[in-house]
Amino acid sequence: MKIIIESPHPDEEDTVIVRCASPDQNLISMLLSFQNAKTELTGYLNDKIVRLNYHDIYYFEANDNRVFAYYHSDVYEVKYKLYELEERFVPLDFMRCSKSMIVNMEKIEYLSPIFSGKMEAHLKNGEKVIISRQYVHELKSRLGIGEG
Amino acid sequence: MIKDFWTSLLHYFVNITTATLFVTAVYLTISGHQMNSVILWEILLSGFITALPSAFLVCLDAKNGRILLLLWLAHFLLIFFTTLILIEIFGWYKITAFSILLTFMAVVVIYIFTCVTHYIVDRKHAEIMNQQLKKRYSKTNND
Repeated sequence: MKIIIESPHPDEEDTVIVRCASPDQNLISMLLSFQNAKTELTGYLNDKIVRLNYHDIYYFEANDNRVFAYYHSDVYEVKYKLYELEERFVPLDFMRCSKSMIVNMEKIEYLSPIFSGKMEAHLKNGEKVIISRQYVHELKSRLGIGEG
Repeated sequence: MIKDFWTSLLHYFVNITTATLFVTAVYLTISGHQMNSVILWEILLSGFITALPSAFLVCLDAKNGRILLLLWLAHFLLIFFTTLILIEIFGWYKITAFSILLTFMAVVVIYIFTCVTHYIVDRKHAEIMNQQLKKRYSKTNND
């Protein structure tokens, strides 16, 4: 399957055109979730209120009933529950990696095993995040690796 | 979560039992002792009992490497003392300072065997996952 990304004219709205013989259920649900994905997120840092770009978020972490979005070096509080962020961002290559964390898969530099079936995700900003055993299975399936 | 627990329990049971059989075989060969066939059932039972906390441990979420290390240390001590209790219950040998030292060494060998076996498998999986990650995001990284 070819993926072509073209720049639209300045006055044109962004458009996704799918050219295929017959769209199946997977394709339709993928497109719908893409269309309905709400990616806007507001972050709070001291007195600052910032519009966050999900591309720049490394991971979300819940701590003491508060949820934080971690940028390369800044940390913003977000007014959402972790499960709400999961619903919103999982279609965008984010994944739950433990009970209290959601990681941006795109920000993973590499994975290394730690004892007991858990993995350590080394992020591109030098931080390390532990992926629980149960979520390692999910990561494998997201990467298209069958359980063997 | 429950499925994960049972899968881990099975893996640890097989690994711990295999390692215990190996250590017992070495001990019997060196010492020349004869043991009743009931020891095989006792090894199976002790393998299951010591696999329980191991399977439980892997289901726990550790926030960072240090907590994980502490959990594993606590786990090691739990396994060691459980083994001593089982030795006493099964009457495998008398508890003395020397036998405690021998048991400690045996538990270390079994522990290392089990951990290394799991680590080798996990490392192989990590390699495949890293290849897939690289493939998936190479386009994004080039942009």
